[in-house]
Parts: sequence; structure tokens; C-alpha cells
Amino acid sequence: MRERLIRGALPSVLSVAAALLLCFAAIAVVAASAKVALDAYLAMVWGGLGDLPRFLDGAGVAVLARPWGEAATKAGLLALTGLSVAVAFKAGLFNIGAQGQMILGAIAAAFLGAQLELPALVHPLLCISGAAVAGGLYGLLPAALKLRRGVHEVISTIMLNWIAVSLVENWLVVGPLRARASGDLSISGTDEIAATAQLPRLLGETSRLHAGFLVAVAAAVLLHLWLSRTRLGFETRAVGLAPEAARASGIPVHGRIYQAMALSGALAGMAGALLVLGTEHKFPATIGAPYGFDGIAIALIGQNHPLGVLATALLFGALRAGGTRMQLFGVHKSFPELIQGLALLFVAGRMVWDHLLALSKRKRPAEEAPRA
Amino acid sequence: MKHYRLNILLAALAVAGCKKSEPAQEQPRPAEPKKHAVGLVTDVGGRGDHSFNDSALRGLELWAAGVAFEGSAYKPVTREEVRRSLAEDVARLEPPVEPLGVRPLVVQSKAQEDYEPNLQLLVDQGAALTVGVGFMLENAVEAVARRNPGSKFLLIDSPLLDAKGNPVKLPNVRTVVFREEEGSFLVGALAGLVSKKQVGFVGGMEIPLIKKFEAGFKAGVKSTAPKTAVLSSYTGTFDNVAAGKQIAQDMLAKGVDVIFHAAGSDGLGVIQAVKEARSSGKEVYGIGVDSDQHHLAPEAMLTSMIKRVDLAVYQAARDLVEGKLAATDVVLGLKEGGVGYALVRAEFPGKAEALAKIEELRRRIVAGEIDVPSNSAELEAFQAAP
Repeated sequence: MRERLIRGALPSVLSVAAALLLCFAAIAVVAASAKVALDAYLAMVWGGLGDLPRFLDGAGVAVLARPWGEAATKAGLLALTGLSVAVAFKAGLFNIGAQGQMILGAIAAAFLGAQLELPALVHPLLCISGAAVAGGLYGLLPAALKLRRGVHEVISTIMLNWIAVSLVENWLVVGPLRARASGDLSISGTDEIAATAQLPRLLGETSRLHAGFLVAVAAAVLLHLWLSRTRLGFETRAVGLAPEAARASGIPVHGRIYQAMALSGALAGMAGALLVLGTEHKFPATIGAPYGFDGIAIALIGQNHPLGVLATALLFGALRAGGTRMQLFGVHKSFPELIQGLALLFVAGRMVWDHLLALSKRKRPAEEAPRA
Repeated sequence: MKHYRLNILLAALAVAGCKKSEPAQEQPRPAEPKKHAVGLVTDVGGRGDHSFNDSALRGLELWAAGVAFEGSAYKPVTREEVRRSLAEDVARLEPPVEPLGVRPLVVQSKAQEDYEPNLQLLVDQGAALTVGVGFMLENAVEAVARRNPGSKFLLIDSPLLDAKGNPVKLPNVRTVVFREEEGSFLVGALAGLVSKKQVGFVGGMEIPLIKKFEAGFKAGVKSTAPKTAVLSSYTGTFDNVAAGKQIAQDMLAKGVDVIFHAAGSDGLGVIQAVKEARSSGKEVYGIGVDSDQHHLAPEAMLTSMIKRVDLAVYQAARDLVEGKLAATDVVLGLKEGGVGYALVRAEFPGKAEALAKIEELRRRIVAGEIDVPSNSAELEAFQAAP
């Protein structure tokens, strides 16, 4: 078990380490000073994990709680979109549509949060469920297109992302669902959600750490159990590994694919709900950050394993929340994303490397055979 | 194979170990002379929009701190260089604009949800005053100001509003809004005088703030060229250069020969489109916004509608240093020098008369003889008047 864990995680760990080192070198070269790079990296670490040095200097618990809140907020979003991509991968599908499914989920949560009057606890749960349904239905579209019309899901999900942007950001948010208060004022986005719909803050007002993070952790654990311990999960994986064999052994392949895409869309939709109910409290003018696309990187670096995805999301949530502080040292604002992108590149590169290695191994005995 | 992997793991651990041990050797930094730190959080447009955010950054970095951001670090600039960067009207101001010796702390936001933590970060870094650049930071400034009553804040482009849109006041927040319609009126009047066919307006997000630019601009065109048609279009964003370019190209193809943009970074695309049309021999002009955007296309820029975000930021920093930063709601128009138009460097027939006409309109607005419309209803009333 331990050996399997190390073997599975090692390429990702090394890739992340290589990406961190490369960016460190890049910053040091640009700033012509290793000290700047070191300061910037330390600021990023303390900004992601909690400012331990200042806490030990007696700065109060807020310097720990605030970074935790920001890291957990980002990690929750990345984990859910990462899980969304990963579960589709398990069924053999490449879902690039998490961004669109997330936008649908976010607008559903913003609508339910603002329009309904429900008691606390019930209200956010209902909003999250609504977001999951909206994202899930949007995820079923590419599955139906694939199974009925043979449209490849990479193409259809990319296009559905743009449809989601047009439908939600360019029509609903500036049209029918526009904030009612906005008359002569410059308010962007939809109405604010009711106070009952807001996800409760776990550490009070000092930190934005909210209950959505627990939702993301629970989703990762449940998905792991579902994939590894249930019949449906097994069948889904079988469909992903060898659809023909799965069909031959009586697994309803189409059903499992529909199911996986609905689940994938639902998870991305829940990410949208977390953004709206946790920190924004409305659908902002646009979902600026591409969390849905980040999910692809998170899933791949996490080796498509739900717990690996969760760990990767925690790491990059912390790096990206803390990475803002690198700007204070003159480091360009894009470096946190650059680290993530390079790590993905190295993971993918490693797969190519493994593949070539396997090919050459298979070839060698064949070449040697005539001689023997 | 197993040994090979173990070796890599050990090597990685060793590297990680080295990195961790370095900070222990680091000497404590020598104490710097005490300076007021002034924080600034940009909106998602960020540094390099040559417009709104850059104007705020100029007020803080170049004017108040006397430094320039080059590559990845601040370089000090001389007082002489600061003075040379001032437009004529700002250079005349009393007391003069000169460096205050504050320390700038700038963070650029990458997404809407980062505004609040970014503001809080700068407060935690010791900023005595923190500037939120743009109405999109309104919620975040309000939340962080409530949480940190000991720190001061400056919010650009919006008053503080509660969830229902009613204005609220906090004792530690100054807000600044501009009468963009007045500056837009003047550039509109100039566009009316220069254009031979039609003029165009490209807005960013379709929100009341940008509608003020549109209303003032259209009224200005009407005041000098009542028969000239004004096409207007919105990109829906502030950070999509391609969308701005596309809309401007459409307008140019329809025969528009002067385009005014109020679209943040999207406007860079508008200017690019005008520049390309200009170099293919068409007699067209662009009008910039917020900062003097002449340098982006020296051949093709007629002027720019100036919005003195830089001055608002500088004055707040000066009030902070002098200990008199009051929590007021400031409105800056033509009269206060908060809006205006940039030096007209382009040459066209009848330039002297045109500029005289614009200056006369400016005097009449300052004197209150012209009431410039700031929304579409007022614009209709203005256009209906003889």
C-alpha cells in the first residue's frame, strides 16, 4: 500500500518540486537577486500556510487565520473542479467544460439564494443542491451529444463553455437577473443573496474560512469511496479503462457515461455555488478566474485520484492564496499560475517519458529474439 | 528501478532541506526610516492598462512616492522628472505636486473574489491608507474598513453602498467620484468639430458609470455638430482587448471617423484598430480615456478625456502625511480640475478656432450655464432642447 502510494504520488511531487525550483530560478534571474526570490517564496509560503513568524512575534491569531481562510477558499474551488475533471476521466471522458458547468452552478446558487426565504442551514444546502443539478444537467448535454450523435466531448464541452458565458454573463446577469438596486448606481452582478443562504464562516469574521471547504473535502472522500468501494464506481472505472470489455461483461456503458458526466457537471456546479455562497454573496459581473480550466491541471497533477486531487488542490490553493504576496517583492502577478502550469507540463512530460520507456522495453526483447 | 526512485526522493528531500535551512542564516533587516506606507489594490484591469489603473498608480508611485516601477523593482526618480510628468493644469496647482516620501505597497487583483483579501493584506502589511481602485471594490472596501477601524481607506469611483444600494458613511473611508460627463462633453464637442462623417463611442461594461461618459459625449457632439450621428456600442468587459478592437473595426467600416472609448483595457484594442486604419491611409482619430493615451498611437490620437484619479490618490496621500485625511465624499468635475482633456497634439484644419470653441464651452460648464447630462434620460431632454 505504502509503496503504491509513493509510486503513484512521486511523479507529481517531483513535478511540483521542479516547477517550484524553475520559477524560483526565473524570479532570481529577473530580479538579478536570489534574495528577492527567497523572500518572495517565503512570503508565499507564510501567506498560504499562516504567517507563523509574525504569530510567534505575538501578532495575534488573525495572521494565521486569514491565510488559512484564503488558502482554503481557493483550495475548495480547485478541489471541486479538479474532482469534476477527474471523475469524467475515470469514465474515459475529457471534460473541458467544468468552467461552463461552474458558471451554471453559480448562477443557480445566486438565484436560489436571492429569491427564496428559508431558514439558515437549509438554505445553503438547497442552493448547493440546485447548483449541482444545474451543473449536472449542463454536463449531460455533451454526454448526450457524444452517445447519440458521435460528437467528441472535447469539442462540445469547449463550445458549451462559451454558450454558458454568453447565456449567463452576457444575458442573465446584465438582463433579467441584474441587481434590482442598480438603477443609477454602478453595481455589477446579480442581487445579493439572503443572509440565511451565506455559508457560515468557521473562524468568525477575521477569516473567510467558510463551510464550503468542508463540502469540498467531503466530496473528495465520498467520491473516493464511491469509485473504490461500490459496484457503480467499479463499473465506471471499467468503462473508462476498456469500454468494449465492459460492454461484453454486461455493464451498461451508456448509462455509466451519462452518470459520470452528470456527476462531473454537478461537482463543477457545486464549485460555482461555493464561490457565490461563500465569499461573493452574489453572481459577480463575470467569473473572472478560470477555476474550471485550473481543474484540468489539478486533476492531472493529482493523478485523477480523488484524494490526490484534494491534496493537489490544497497545495495550489495555498500557493495561489499566498502567491499574491510575491507581488510585494516586485514579482509578476502571474507566477503562482506559472508554477501550476509548469507542474502540469512536467506531469504530462513524465507520462510521455513513461510511455517511451515502456515502448523501448517492449521493443528490445523483440529485437533480441532472432539472435537468441 | 526501486533504488532509482528512492534516490530521486532522497535528492528531492535534500533540496527541500537546503531551502528550508537558508532563512535561518538570514540576518535581520536594518530598520528603515519610518515612512507612511500607502497601499493600493488595482481592479482586474491591473497595471499596464495605460488608463484608469495606471492613473491611480501614477498618483501613488510617481507623484506621492517619487519612484518608478521598472521591470520588477522601484527606482527612485528625481523631483525634476516628477515635475516633467505633470500636465500643465496639474503643474499649476498650489501647493505643488511633489514627492511626499511615502512607501507604496501595490497588489494587483486577478479575480473579483481577491479584492477583499488583497485590501486586508495591505492593511496587515502596515498601510496607513489603502486605495481601492474602481467601483468593483466597493463591497470589499466596506468590509475591510469595518474590520479595521484604525486604518484609512480611499475608494475611487463609487460611494459606499449598503446591500439595497443606499449610501452609507464610514468614519475611515474617503470616497471620490468624478463628473466624467463634463470631460466627455468637451471631447465630444471636439469630435463633432473634427468629424466629417460619423462619430463612435465604445464603452466597457454597460453600467451607469460608463453611461455617464456616453451621455456627456453625445451631448458634446450635439453641441457642435447637431447633425452628426453617434454610434455607440459596449464590449461588456474591461479586460478584453480583442473585443474592443473588433467593435472599433466594425465602426470604422461603417464610416465612423472619430472614436471615443471608455472601456479600460478593451480601449487598447480600439486605439489599435484606429491606428491600423490610420496607417492604411484613412483620416480617422481615436480619443483616449482617463490618462493621456497619446503615446499609444501618436499619429492617430486626437486627445484624451482626462480623469484625474492620479490627483485624487495623490491628495489623499498628502492629507494622510499631513494628518488631515477626512472621511469625505468628494465629487470632482471640470470646476475642481478633476476631469478635462489632454493637450491636443493632432493637426487638423481650423484647429485654433476649434480649441477656442472648446475652451468657451469649458467656461460655460464651469459657470453653470450648461448642465451636462449624466444619463440617458437627461440626454434625451438635452437633445430635445434647441
